Amino acid sequence: MPEVDSGLLRRFVQNGGIVITFVVLAVVLTAIAEPRFLNQLNLTNVLRNFAFLAIPALAQMMVMTAGGFDLSLGAVVAVSSLITAATMAAAAAMMPGADVAITFLALATVLSFGAAVGLVNGGLVTAFGLSPFMVTLAMMSILMGGALYYTQGIPIYGVLDSYISNVGRGRFLTLPVIMWIALGVIVLIVLLQRTTVLGRHIYAVGGDPRSARLSGVKTARVTLTAYVMASCLAGFTGFLMTARIGSGQATIGATLALETIAAAVIGGTSLRGGVGRAELVALAALFLTVIANAMNLIRIESKYQTLVLGAVLIIALGIERLIQRRGTGG
Amino acid sequence: MAEATRSGTAMGWIRLLSLPLAIMAALLLFGLLEPRVLTAANLRNIAVQTSFLAIFSMAQCVVILTRGFDLSLGFCVSLVSVAAAMAMVATGSMVYGIAAGLSVGLAVGISNGLLIGGIGLNPLVTTLGTSYILLALASTISGGFPVPSLPAEFSGTFAIARPLGLPMPIWTAAIIFLLLFVMLKATRFGRSLYIVGGNPRAADAAGIPTFAVLTSAYTLAALLAAIGALLLTARTGSGEPNLGGNLTLESIAAAVVGGVKLSGGEGGVAAALMGALLITILSNGMNLVQVDGYLQNIFLGLIIIASLMISRDTGRR
Repeated sequence: MPEVDSGLLRRFVQNGGIVITFVVLAVVLTAIAEPRFLNQLNLTNVLRNFAFLAIPALAQMMVMTAGGFDLSLGAVVAVSSLITAATMAAAAAMMPGADVAITFLALATVLSFGAAVGLVNGGLVTAFGLSPFMVTLAMMSILMGGALYYTQGIPIYGVLDSYISNVGRGRFLTLPVIMWIALGVIVLIVLLQRTTVLGRHIYAVGGDPRSARLSGVKTARVTLTAYVMASCLAGFTGFLMTARIGSGQATIGATLALETIAAAVIGGTSLRGGVGRAELVALAALFLTVIANAMNLIRIESKYQTLVLGAVLIIALGIERLIQRRGTGG
Repeated sequence: MAEATRSGTAMGWIRLLSLPLAIMAALLLFGLLEPRVLTAANLRNIAVQTSFLAIFSMAQCVVILTRGFDLSLGFCVSLVSVAAAMAMVATGSMVYGIAAGLSVGLAVGISNGLLIGGIGLNPLVTTLGTSYILLALASTISGGFPVPSLPAEFSGTFAIARPLGLPMPIWTAAIIFLLLFVMLKATRFGRSLYIVGGNPRAADAAGIPTFAVLTSAYTLAALLAAIGALLLTARTGSGEPNLGGNLTLESIAAAVVGGVKLSGGEGGVAAALMGALLITILSNGMNLVQVDGYLQNIFLGLIIIASLMISRDTGRR
């Protein structure tokens, strides 16, 4: 392979060429194969589902960029959905009519919960140097055990109607409110990564912890912050999903650990830390949402969809590996 | 070597003894809470259940030694169970069923091994990906339902028969334990597992074929998982698409609790066996004192974190 080619390839890859190609191909092919894809109702649905994947995918990217991993994100989403419903039900009984206040109270509760989980995850990882993978796997087991024990698999009702209609089903400029919220989150995280000290430090800590420490970065605090932000984003996802589903469900996050890692990897986030861009991960989330929707439209059973997701993840890993080899070897 | 130098210190002794002590403490505690725990029937039950879990945690141990992970183990068990049961029902022959089950295990192991050892993909994410593929296959080929009416000789041979008074799972686990123990201590392959996991660069320098070692490790792990799956299937008497749901977590937990280091290159099958024993006693005890199954997941998570903190296991991921 000539020098010039690999340089071009690298620049193409670094600027998200792969993910953009994936998204465009997925959209065009789906639209050709199944015209119902472009139906307004369907597109609205796709954009909402996109939001529900993009936000936790950014959370996963944040932790991975800092050199970690978070398998507990899906469980945080599920528990947060329960907390949202339970808080709303309890608060509505005490102060009926104060819908806006109750909604923000639920949001605050969910974010505190997310922060607490993130503190424990990040604390165990940074203070004791434990494996992020094992810590978050254990955390997942703990949270899911708690959620299923508490609900025994029965949904929690009592979500405010106004919350469901304004946020869950609401639209702004013809597009779903939830999508706008997700766009806001994406922009905030892009800004965080590109313009803030914390953003630069996260890259530094994930890329080369030793040099980061030597150049005065408080590595433990940065890593901890990444875990806390990730869990808060996951909690926020659970909060939003509850608006859509209309009840608190303990089972909603089941495949999110896989999906968020898939989106992060397809979006070019390195498994070794230090590399990851929010806008590309968001595009990868869009790609995964479109193929899931395409499979629904052509009536592929959800079981096969899990299969495709697993295969896509492995292919994405393979591509990442291929690029790395080219990058270092060429 | 590392074991020996470490056990010279007081902390080393505490670490060495903490597991047997924890096992005895757990037995005593549950025995006081619930007299049925220490009956002969229940102890036999614990031995059988430990054998099952030990087979899976020893499988997990083999790949963890190489700094890997097998997150697909649980759903591999499900797929093997369903595939073996369907083959048995279709052919009416136990032998074909066993062959089908082992072939599935072999295929899964070789695929994992080639992806991780050959292409060099991250083991964690790769096996996470294959786990979902296996889950999908297990639930689609069976339609999501158990596969009943297996030949009577299958359960007869592998679940009911007791050669020399011991049930087959105990024999199987014991034989696997001995074989792996010798393999890890005395064969070149066993030693190269430790070197590849403990110090990949040294492995390269020493001319160890990392590719072949990793591929064999994942293949061996999946084959062991398949053997465990067949025994479990014989016990339940049907192919179960949900058989492996919790096994990935439990097998990793058992290995880690036993002291197999996530950072690779440290630990052995004895650790995996002890870990399996402790976890089985805890879950058996909690079942008998009627702790809710979901609550048990919370304890499992807490035990994993506690044992990581005791062993100060600093895995990179």
